[in-house]
Amino acid sequence: MKLLSLITKIAIFVAIVLMIGILGYAIFGNRVLLKKSPLIGTNAPDFTVDLFNGSNLKLSELRGKALLLNFWSSWCIPCRDEAPLLEASWLKYRNKPVVFVGVNIWDDDSNALTYLKKYGSGYPNGKDPTGEILVDYGVSGVPETFFIDPSGKITDKYTGPLIDGIIDIFLEKALLNSNGNSLNKNGG
Amino acid sequence: MCKLSHLTKLLYLLPILLLSLITGINNSISENIDDQVSEISSLLMCPVCQGQSVAESNSDLAKDMRSIIRKKVQEGESQEEIISYFVNRYGDSILGSPPAKGVNWLLWLLPLFSLIFGGLGMGLFIYRSRETRIRNKNLSDEKSIPNETEYFDKIDKDLKDIES
Repeated sequence: MKLLSLITKIAIFVAIVLMIGILGYAIFGNRVLLKKSPLIGTNAPDFTVDLFNGSNLKLSELRGKALLLNFWSSWCIPCRDEAPLLEASWLKYRNKPVVFVGVNIWDDDSNALTYLKKYGSGYPNGKDPTGEILVDYGVSGVPETFFIDPSGKITDKYTGPLIDGIIDIFLEKALLNSNGNSLNKNGG
Repeated sequence: MCKLSHLTKLLYLLPILLLSLITGINNSISENIDDQVSEISSLLMCPVCQGQSVAESNSDLAKDMRSIIRKKVQEGESQEEIISYFVNRYGDSILGSPPAKGVNWLLWLLPLFSLIFGGLGMGLFIYRSRETRIRNKNLSDEKSIPNETEYFDKIDKDLKDIES
């Protein structure tokens, strides 16, 4: 009788642990998908962005080059952390078929301009006051960086401040992807 | 002259009537769009908030999402199209109620299983405690009989002693 009771207790404990585990996976498992972004492997949504220098830039006109698309805000501390690395990488890839584009979100123009002057961003930077570009890319915070291959397909998304080596890995991957990748999926 | 005066009055009234009609229609359309935006926003979870829908959240992202929903509603997109647009960008986790597919089935089935097995467990527990209570009562009854006999024997013996 005592042995049976112990077995019952163990069975109840195992069942509870199993239920919590399964429930946890069902709830938090999806968050991994969110970070991976359902847009990876699809065509990068096209947009036209007003640049801080007064001109504008259309994404689809950059086809044929690998693209690093970085979403940032002037109030975002991790954005400031990654800014020098982005600038150094842009200088490094300047003579390669690679384009860097920054999109300023949830910010005001004067703060964004001060930030750009301070961190000396030489590559094109634009603003998204309506939030259409950021939602089109499924952005949920700053900084977030997308890597797009020369055919216009999103190859990777990086959430958080970029660290040394990450840019090289993802850009090389995007450049490698350029060899005859047909655009099967439509990302918007 | 009198007839002409009525006609003039009617002519004056006509623009006012038309204006109120147009305003009424506009208000009705606007309310309809507001309702649709509110309904769709309440079906989507804010990706940067804890347990808040896009309709409830005041975050910048939720505001942007609401204005995009409004734009899409005005452009005539259906609720399904708008929801699918957000799912394609943020994944299934943006949905207020997870779709019943894959591992998500567990979210729908676990409460049912918990109810069934919990109910069975409770029933078993109640049944067992009642059994134990009855068994204990029987045992105490069995034990009380010899005790009482001994007690009455002692009384008899004492009474006999007093009498003698």
